[in-house]
Amino acid sequence: MATEYQDHTHCLEMFQKLSEYIDGELDHVTCAEIEQHAENCVACFSCLQTLKRTVAICKNARQKPVPRELSQRLKEIIQNLPETTSP
Amino acid sequence: MTKAKNPTPRKVKDNDFNLIRAINAGQVDKFHDLVKRYEQKLYNFSLRNCRDPRDAEDIVQDTFLNVFRYLKDFRYETKFKNWLYKVAASICIKQWRQSRFTPEKELPLEDFYPGDGTGSPVRVPEWASMPLDQLLNEELSETLNQAIMSLPEKYRLVILLRDMEGFSTTETAQILNLSSANVKVRLHRARLFLRDKLKGYYENGH
Repeated sequence: MATEYQDHTHCLEMFQKLSEYIDGELDHVTCAEIEQHAENCVACFSCLQTLKRTVAICKNARQKPVPRELSQRLKEIIQNLPETTSP
Repeated sequence: MTKAKNPTPRKVKDNDFNLIRAINAGQVDKFHDLVKRYEQKLYNFSLRNCRDPRDAEDIVQDTFLNVFRYLKDFRYETKFKNWLYKVAASICIKQWRQSRFTPEKELPLEDFYPGDGTGSPVRVPEWASMPLDQLLNEELSETLNQAIMSLPEKYRLVILLRDMEGFSTTETAQILNLSSANVKVRLHRARLFLRDKLKGYYENGH
């Protein structure tokens, strides 16, 4: 693995595209460039890994249960809804 | 007569369509099934959008009431879930505009550039390589929610829809009336913002 700041301009170019890379929204050529750069740049590799992990944490975040009172209130509201919904 | 107003879906496939048709045909009690399908997701979405759980409850309630009110006008051109979140997002935006909590500010990309600016060695932190299930706990969940809450509104909605609710870039753009390019820019900055918060949590304990 090469030095961290071998090509700072390239780092910034890659850095701007990391989310699109994670989301699979880039073309193959750009993906290959990012992968090659990340292999040789610890700073960008670390950035990519931590960003990927952040996304994974968000996607797997815990859900809080719906308060029972809210469910009950919604149920009551629905029971009292009119037959038709618009004119 | 009612049937003539409900066009057959051509492009969009959605498990909710049959339920919506039944409700619009007069089986109003089936609206409860629709509520049950989405209340938890919508409650958590709302909760991450405001500080007060009671406000989150109000958002959920207002969303479902609005959806019911306009359900007859639903055109089956988009998934019901997308429409539901469009309604919810607009209620959230309206609520923020009435509150004084979140300052509307930009997150400049330069603030997140890799490296610490000192040239000191950068390593991949341990939390980035640990098994995910070892990381996910109540404390992390709270840290994440607080970090999301501290995001400026325009970034928060995007990351909630994209990463927490699973909408695509295009869907998120449609829900928020933004361009896809704008969604991508906001999402990247929001993720970097959260990444820094998580980094602080793991490295400094807060």
